[in-house]
Amino acid sequence: MRRRFSYLLVLVLAAPLVCVWLTSPSGSSAPARAADPAPAADEFGKVAGPFLTKHCTSCHGEKAKKGDLVLTVYRDEASVLKDRKRWEAAVKMVQTGEMPPSTRRRPDPAEAAAFLKTVRGVFERHDRTAKRDPGHVTVRRLNRTEYNNTIRDLVGVDFNAAEDFPADDVGYGFDNIGDVLSLSPLLFERYLAAAEAVVERAVLTEQPPPPKRPVTPNFFQPRAGRPDNGVRSLFLKDDALSTYTLHLIDDGDYIVRVRAAALPDGAAPVRFAVLDNDTEIKTFEVKTATPFAQGKPPPPFEVRLPLKKGEHVIKVKLLDGFPPREKLGPPKEQPDESAKKEAKPMRGGFPRLPGLHVRLIEVEGPLDYWPETHRRVMTCAPGKTRPEQTREILTRFASKAFRRPATADEIDRLVKLVDGATARGDKWESAIQLALQAVLVSPKFLFRVELDDRPDSKDAHPIDDYALAARLSYFLWNTMPDDELFALAAKKQLAANLDAQVKRMLADPKAKTLCDSFAAQWLQLRNLSTMTPDPKLFPNFTERLRAAMLKETELFFEAVVKEDRSVLDLIDADFTFLNGVLAKHYGVDGVYGDRFRRVPLTDGKRGGVLTQASILTVTSNPTRTSPVKRGKWVMEQILGTPPPEPPPDVPELPADEKAQLTGSLRQRMEQHRANPNCAVCHEQMDAMGFAFENFDAVGAFRARDGNFPIDPSGSLPGGLRFKGPGELKTILKGKKDLFGRCLAEKMLTYALGRGLEYYDRPAVDAIVAALARNDYRFSTLVGAIVKSDPFRLRRGKQ
Amino acid sequence: MTTISRRTILKGLGAAVALPWLEAMVPSSAFAAAAPGAKAAPTRLAFLYVPNGVNMAEWTPKAEGALTDLPAILKPLEAVKDDLLVLSGLTADKARPNGDGPGDHARALAAFLTGCQPRKTDGANIRVGVSVDQVAASRLADQTRLPSLEIGCEGGRNAGSCDSGYSCAYSNTISWRSATTPVPKEVNPKLVFERLFSTTPSAERVARDARRKSVLDFVREDAVGLRGKLGADDQRKLEEYFTSVRDIELRIARAAKLPEVKAPDGPRPTGVPSSYEEHLKLMCDLLVLAFQTDATRICTFVLANEGSNRAYSFIGVPDGHHDLSHHGNDAKKLAKIRDINTFHMKQFAYLLTRLKSVREGSGTLLDQCVISYGSGNGDGNRHNHDDLPILVAGKGGGTVKTGRHVRYPRETPLNNLWLSMLDRASVKVPTLGDATGRLTKLEG
Repeated sequence: MRRRFSYLLVLVLAAPLVCVWLTSPSGSSAPARAADPAPAADEFGKVAGPFLTKHCTSCHGEKAKKGDLVLTVYRDEASVLKDRKRWEAAVKMVQTGEMPPSTRRRPDPAEAAAFLKTVRGVFERHDRTAKRDPGHVTVRRLNRTEYNNTIRDLVGVDFNAAEDFPADDVGYGFDNIGDVLSLSPLLFERYLAAAEAVVERAVLTEQPPPPKRPVTPNFFQPRAGRPDNGVRSLFLKDDALSTYTLHLIDDGDYIVRVRAAALPDGAAPVRFAVLDNDTEIKTFEVKTATPFAQGKPPPPFEVRLPLKKGEHVIKVKLLDGFPPREKLGPPKEQPDESAKKEAKPMRGGFPRLPGLHVRLIEVEGPLDYWPETHRRVMTCAPGKTRPEQTREILTRFASKAFRRPATADEIDRLVKLVDGATARGDKWESAIQLALQAVLVSPKFLFRVELDDRPDSKDAHPIDDYALAARLSYFLWNTMPDDELFALAAKKQLAANLDAQVKRMLADPKAKTLCDSFAAQWLQLRNLSTMTPDPKLFPNFTERLRAAMLKETELFFEAVVKEDRSVLDLIDADFTFLNGVLAKHYGVDGVYGDRFRRVPLTDGKRGGVLTQASILTVTSNPTRTSPVKRGKWVMEQILGTPPPEPPPDVPELPADEKAQLTGSLRQRMEQHRANPNCAVCHEQMDAMGFAFENFDAVGAFRARDGNFPIDPSGSLPGGLRFKGPGELKTILKGKKDLFGRCLAEKMLTYALGRGLEYYDRPAVDAIVAALARNDYRFSTLVGAIVKSDPFRLRRGKQ
Repeated sequence: MTTISRRTILKGLGAAVALPWLEAMVPSSAFAAAAPGAKAAPTRLAFLYVPNGVNMAEWTPKAEGALTDLPAILKPLEAVKDDLLVLSGLTADKARPNGDGPGDHARALAAFLTGCQPRKTDGANIRVGVSVDQVAASRLADQTRLPSLEIGCEGGRNAGSCDSGYSCAYSNTISWRSATTPVPKEVNPKLVFERLFSTTPSAERVARDARRKSVLDFVREDAVGLRGKLGADDQRKLEEYFTSVRDIELRIARAAKLPEVKAPDGPRPTGVPSSYEEHLKLMCDLLVLAFQTDATRICTFVLANEGSNRAYSFIGVPDGHHDLSHHGNDAKKLAKIRDINTFHMKQFAYLLTRLKSVREGSGTLLDQCVISYGSGNGDGNRHNHDDLPILVAGKGGGTVKTGRHVRYPRETPLNNLWLSMLDRASVKVPTLGDATGRLTKLEG
């Protein structure tokens, strides 16, 4: 189980592609010393030379030049190091047995091992003393998630502006890889449309009318201290109140408006008060009762007042009301005839009391109203001239959008755009909109451009603090830096405060993107949405179950992040998160309803992502489990030792052999593996996959597969034996270094937005060492990544 | 499927989106009038793709020459077989490993319309070649509002690697604008509709385009300013940016010149139908509309991504397509693959029947088309890239003699067909990818 490192799997060796050579720095021409007489042979010359002559140069020599590769020119270590990429690929091919091809005589295993050891030794010796190389990150276009989040944080509203963008392509397992994030005209057209939509919604050209918050009696609050019997105070009498609670998000002048009519007509006027948080703000007199039904409603009673943001309880309170019924004493005798004529008969012998019909309470304001998004973009210091305002607005917006202070030249050009538009007759606000749109489709916004003060320096040097802020925030939050990061960058103090910032950022809710973006791709959870288990075989697989599966793994990963647990808990843990539907699926009692809750796991069946239904489902076929896919998944995503790909033309089994393929899935697979061509790789893959056979293709527990009892035991190359998934997980948990390295490589890839190269090895080593020192804490992993050379440093143009 | 009832069509459009405009528009096309002096109807090209190869035994007609008895998979085409060519023996050599090891699915799609060997990389420096549709699109760009339309029914894969060390860009994308710029396909019928038809009133659009032009001028300068400051890989990204800006500018210029393609009245597609079959039909309808209204003349349509493991439970095949395609010559699996192939063929038949129902000049819209249909894998089990399953439909304005099965010598490059299709769209290029010449025998 060799540690995989040579990420650059470009199979340059055998590719007859002219284009490869065109961009390969060393070109196809052999190193200059090709023609020189061989120097005194170093170890490479002594060990690898004969191997090359024996196995390689008959095809890859001066004459045949297969794949445009001439191996006779490599005679010493220096020549190998010069063509490092090509040799990394060569090592990989010999190691996987891809070369020499199966049509040729195979090298003796010991012979091949000696060759590989020698070539790797060349690399390792060189790397120990080599100048550090942080690599170069291609400018990264914002992917859909990043675009959405950045717009949200830039203008303050989540528009889901990227909804219509085409899907981002995936490279190295992630959708944030600079080289793969291409920009097509279709996407650019969508960028234009999105910029227009965002700006038009965020910034207004006309002041909108102040928002009104009307409430009708049905929605009045019940009176405090009384049971809510559903009766709301439409008709006020006694000491009744009409109450309206609202939450204001802005300070400002407001109008409180009440529509009300008094009863009875005549006699003394009815008085009522409007209260704000129990402070009387105004008293009104209602002299006559105007029935609402007749024609135009009476004008409302209004009071204008300044209100602070926060919770306000607006009450309408009847003053001078009659005392409550219980204080009135017994009912009177029937009133005389004249009274009958004046008013309707008393109800239940009580006299008609003055009262108030409240039809509406409305709060309007703030009167000088602009939406939050508009103010965020357009607010200027008071007393400025229009041109000054223009500059202020554009400087602030562009500096945030470009994730670094906009230059005077950039602002001048934007101002010119505004001036041009106003000269053509646009309103100023509309001209500002145009400039904002231009910012949002500028390459400086759409791409994460890292301007370098030393672009030509070949030496590694730190990226500037603004670029570092952006790398941090897109890594941990999938969005632009916040004010604190910008402030630290402005003071050039970010690099010195990485630990504190990582801690702060991981605690922020925005860090959930580590789960939604990183973990969902690393664990391949995103594929869950397109899995199609056969509804006949798995009738329990509903959309609710699918959603619950995803949620379980998300919550579980989030717990590891939030509680800063050991990353080894991801392999096995004694808790998970379940809701009713998933608990039923798992056969766990006592969990009901849609709400997820933390559940301790004690029976040893489940625990860790490997036995979560989400992972078990994405590694299955629609109609059955696939031990091969499960085993491969463990090797790739957990151990970081992907099995070599199958040869392009898997030999077909002879018909008579096929006839024997009967029995349980395991028996059939074992017969298959009798073919030595398959056995080499499948032995380990299948053993690990079969450990999870007790879980069906949607992750439900089962004791039998059809007519066959399940045997989840197995052994790994090297003789480690396990009885089932529990013991396998223990073995995997023991492979701390492999898992730590795998996770570090995946996360570093995600953090950098590029595939890893051989020169990243020291950085990965350092991250793995830091993890081991700190009990594999999640925060250590993140901290070590952001402090690594490839994350903090850059080198100039190549 | 000899006749298509109105009910069938509406069913095809999806329960939620019965689109009456389609019916209403059927009789006419942008080139309907056969009046003297009317513009001659142009040739349209479409390229349809199905993944994972096919069951060749049930695909290839027994004999060459006139199409009499259609094999099982081609049976749905019975009604349009006189508009059809079955081409056997074509090869996509660049889909082969040629030293690059496994990854036949990614290569099959990437090499299909390009005839170039995709560079094996999971991300850094993706590269294949310009695809035939984009060659045509760039040459014909000034003729229509949209140079080309790229559609499909499966978005990109969401996570993980797609195929053996090849970036997902290869197995998701059939159209390549340049050797390094994949053209993503649109999978949402609603968005396809909005691209085809200006849904904004023309006065508003004119004002919008004027504003867009000033924005484009501005950002181009921005990009120019960055040019000197970035490394080589970054420059490539910047070039994509410039190309896109230029493209939109051209489109705005064209929109001012060309007659507006009015959106058909009535309900419009609202999103992606939940049923795959309805999704395919809706995309077929939109393709017909695009050609009929002359919104574009070039289209690629990927029915499912290469390597797709979609289950076809609704036709009784609950297994994953890719898993099945490694059939190991198991008769049951082969039958299921045949069923999937036949299902796709029914959709193709639907498309052809629709095209045939549109009158154009003295014939039909289909007569003016050359539409290819096929896969870059022959047999999914062997991952062979010779003797590919390839159909051509439509008479290309009378330049293709249909109704035949033609067998070509082994190793005849598929790209020869593409060159011949370009000829018919009056796009003359000396060569394309690994083409060795024009494909003979198309004229009879």
